[in-house]
Amino acid sequence: MADLAAVGYGLLVVALVVISYTLGAVAWLPDDPARMDMARLNAAPGPGHPLGTDFLGRDILSRLIVGIQAYFLPGLLAVATSLALGAALGVVAGYRDGRAEALVTYLSNLVDSFPRLVLILLVIAAFKADIYYVMLVVGITGAPAIASLIAAKIQFLRTKSFIEAAHVLGLSTGVIVAKHILWYNCAPLLIIQATLGMAEAILVETSLSYLGFGVQEPTPSWGNMVQAGANYFFQGKFWPSTAPALAILGTILGFHLLGDGLNNILENKSAS
Amino acid sequence: MTGAPVLAIQDLRTYFYSRAKQAFVRSVDGVSLSIARGETLGVVGESGSGKSVTALSVLGLVGGSPGVITGAIEFSGGNGRRNLLQDLGRYVTVTERDGRIVAVAKDEPGWRAQLERSMARVRGNEIAMIFQNPKSSLNPFLTVGQQITEAIRLHTPVKDPKEAKDRAIEWLERVRMDSPRLRFDQYPDGLSGGMCQRAMIAMALACEPSLLMADEPTTGLDATIQSRIVALLAELKSELGVTTLLITHDIRVVSRLADTVAVMYGGTVVEQGPARDVLAPSVPAKHPYTAALLASLPSAQKNGRPHAIEGRLSVIRGEVVDTMDVPRGCRFYARCERVTDAIRARCMSQEPALATVTTGHRIRCHLHA
Amino acid sequence: MVHSGHGAKVTTKLAAFRRVGVMVVRELALTALLLLGVSLVVFVILHLSPGDPFSVLLEGQAPGQAARASVREALGVPTTWYGRYLAWLGHMAHGNLGTSIRTGVPVAGEIVRAGPNTLYLTLGSLLVTLLLAVPIALYSAARRTGALARALTLAVYLISAVPVFWLGYVVIYLFIHRLGLFPLLSATEPQRHSWLYVLLPIIVLGVANGTVSEVTRHLREELGRVMTEDYIRTARAKGAPVWRHAFKEGFLLPMTEMIAAKMPFVLGGAVIVEQVFNWPGLGRMALQAAQDRDFPVIMGIAMVAAAFVRLASLLRGVIYAGVNPRTATE
Repeated sequence: MADLAAVGYGLLVVALVVISYTLGAVAWLPDDPARMDMARLNAAPGPGHPLGTDFLGRDILSRLIVGIQAYFLPGLLAVATSLALGAALGVVAGYRDGRAEALVTYLSNLVDSFPRLVLILLVIAAFKADIYYVMLVVGITGAPAIASLIAAKIQFLRTKSFIEAAHVLGLSTGVIVAKHILWYNCAPLLIIQATLGMAEAILVETSLSYLGFGVQEPTPSWGNMVQAGANYFFQGKFWPSTAPALAILGTILGFHLLGDGLNNILENKSAS
Repeated sequence: MTGAPVLAIQDLRTYFYSRAKQAFVRSVDGVSLSIARGETLGVVGESGSGKSVTALSVLGLVGGSPGVITGAIEFSGGNGRRNLLQDLGRYVTVTERDGRIVAVAKDEPGWRAQLERSMARVRGNEIAMIFQNPKSSLNPFLTVGQQITEAIRLHTPVKDPKEAKDRAIEWLERVRMDSPRLRFDQYPDGLSGGMCQRAMIAMALACEPSLLMADEPTTGLDATIQSRIVALLAELKSELGVTTLLITHDIRVVSRLADTVAVMYGGTVVEQGPARDVLAPSVPAKHPYTAALLASLPSAQKNGRPHAIEGRLSVIRGEVVDTMDVPRGCRFYARCERVTDAIRARCMSQEPALATVTTGHRIRCHLHA
Repeated sequence: MVHSGHGAKVTTKLAAFRRVGVMVVRELALTALLLLGVSLVVFVILHLSPGDPFSVLLEGQAPGQAARASVREALGVPTTWYGRYLAWLGHMAHGNLGTSIRTGVPVAGEIVRAGPNTLYLTLGSLLVTLLLAVPIALYSAARRTGALARALTLAVYLISAVPVFWLGYVVIYLFIHRLGLFPLLSATEPQRHSWLYVLLPIIVLGVANGTVSEVTRHLREELGRVMTEDYIRTARAKGAPVWRHAFKEGFLLPMTEMIAAKMPFVLGGAVIVEQVFNWPGLGRMALQAAQDRDFPVIMGIAMVAAAFVRLASLLRGVIYAGVNPRTATE
């Protein structure tokens, strides 16, 4: 089925990313990302350079692998922030209806009013172009959506007297929330939101580093690789710019397919 | 009643293929019905008996795959007599084994295209249909008046909006809608269920169709409103004499409105005949299912005098037959309480044919064969 | 309550207008409340920034601390945070968004000058996105299965994951270097089709703003859902054109919803596209401002962007109210 294929591809991408991150972290690379092979500038994929070289003769594959460092941990920060904040808000809104729920809706609308990049530019202007600050903001802006989902889930559980029964059985609120609501019932939802959130984070990081606010040369990041290679685009040398672009495409696609595929499978399961 | 019947359904089959269960749901499995001019035929049965699907098949409103596969639907409306399923046979190939259809190949786009062409003049014009849940069956984004005048301008010579509006209001008055001019400009949301159903009836009849099909018109309405709608339908019947196919699971509605009755079970007609013969408890010749249906009615009258309901309501034991795994013999066998040893073997292995018991009254049962 | 004739019609129409009116007022109030929240967020971010950007905002660009203090005293600029916030709100209410730290030019004027370029980009690309999404959604709603439907779904996912900055380069390369269409008319050799160049950014942003897959999916799902509604079955049974009945709930409302919901994403994408194409709009201005830490400019643009998003949302609410007087607050 199409959904399984999507999930399969998505998991493959996640695995590749994690492996590559680890390789990059311990510097176990096929080639030195800073080594300039002057003989072969802007080379297409070939011997010694499976993904070719960039305009300074550096191995693209190694640079792509190291480039993951730029978004991996920050992305996790964004995801963790939105999940934690979203879960907290969602639980509060779900437990007390009316006013708390209206507040979450208001916060959602508030956060959605900003084009994310504009808000990020605002933060960069106010503080500094630190990717972790930015990812914190990304996480915060992603929280209300998660809160709504969790609050809705809690309302649903309420109608099934699930929560009431748990209380009556003597379980403490903390246990109910953490174990029964969040883990048993919301885990799939949270996982899906995590994958989608990671996709967003990667998009943000690559866009920012393209714009020049992320890691600076010579440290590679997929965004700045596209930007740096762009000049050579017009000379007919597409590869230095296109290889990282394809990496971005493939990775974001992977996380999207993973999230949506899991979502579809989940919906089909609850429908049948 | 002279002349050709307005509607004569012959051996209609409408199947749906379930991919999950890898089998056909035989919703309508060889149904033949006919309605004479001016007559009201009541089709009764439980949910799943195929009665609604039969009506939907007449107008080509069946979704799902493969849908209608065999049969003829002879219709004599204002434009002469014709088979609504004519020329459609070439889109379907059916494979039978042991007298049972086991495979169907249907060119659905071709069928659909041809069907839409032939149905274009029929829907709403010669055959009108009203549905249950009237509130959700009306477009919530348009006023009641807009929906009725749309039908009038589509199917009658009246094209001028003003004239159409007058005609619509005239019909709203005929269906006993209170404040028709006010209701004309209201959205379905502002009307009660009963009023919405009146509006639907007005919309259907304003085009003066040759046949009205009413699919559970009282289901989904409050009990008191139900009796009002039934009263309205009875009045309209005597005033207008519209030929009607009335589908319902409510025997009281059928006994009030129908001239002839067909009882459906498991996708087939198991009994049909004049209403008084089929429904009167005193008539002995009855299909066991019909007998059981009638017996399960709580009756607050005994010998013409109101009396307290005593004892338990009788129920029909067992579950509705699975139209996927249709049993070999009689479909009702598993739940029948009138099986005798003499016929048991036949009940189990051979499906009975519809046999005439008295003039116009036929029963599908080995007891009466 | 018995009404008759003309009077009855007026009463119903009036009642409908009143309901719609109430809904619109509610939407306006909500928008105002949200914009207030937005201004507070913007203010807080700047307030927390090290280096007190606010004084510069309110007091102008006097050279030293002492000079600024005297300006502050002279102008009576408040010192408490809420005082400053209110002062800033007051300034904005009068159309004063401060002056750019870098150029000294009033921000409001700059925004008005560059705004239409970004407006063109935003609306144009939304149109492109819809031109892409609508046919695909209509086709997928009609044909749920089949190789083409699946291929389209995959294609839509791919399109949504393309980095917009890279696509920009590809398109520029194709147009300029392959087709030889330059953006500027040269005095000696006027290029015939160079006006096409203005279409490039909206095509790029329309295709690659990342929302195509969600828009397509929403339109397809809503249309599919509406087609199974009871009232569509009634429309079919009465021989009425189905599209006329399905249009409002199956097409118009979902479209409006998508336009309003995806507006912020398109605006965000505009920042990048303006950079790629060197387009003189608010996005490019915002980037410059972020680099220069030019607070008045970035704050002004943030407020304008948020206001625009809320305006789109307001219009969506009005359309919902107008189309269906019953559920105007969906």
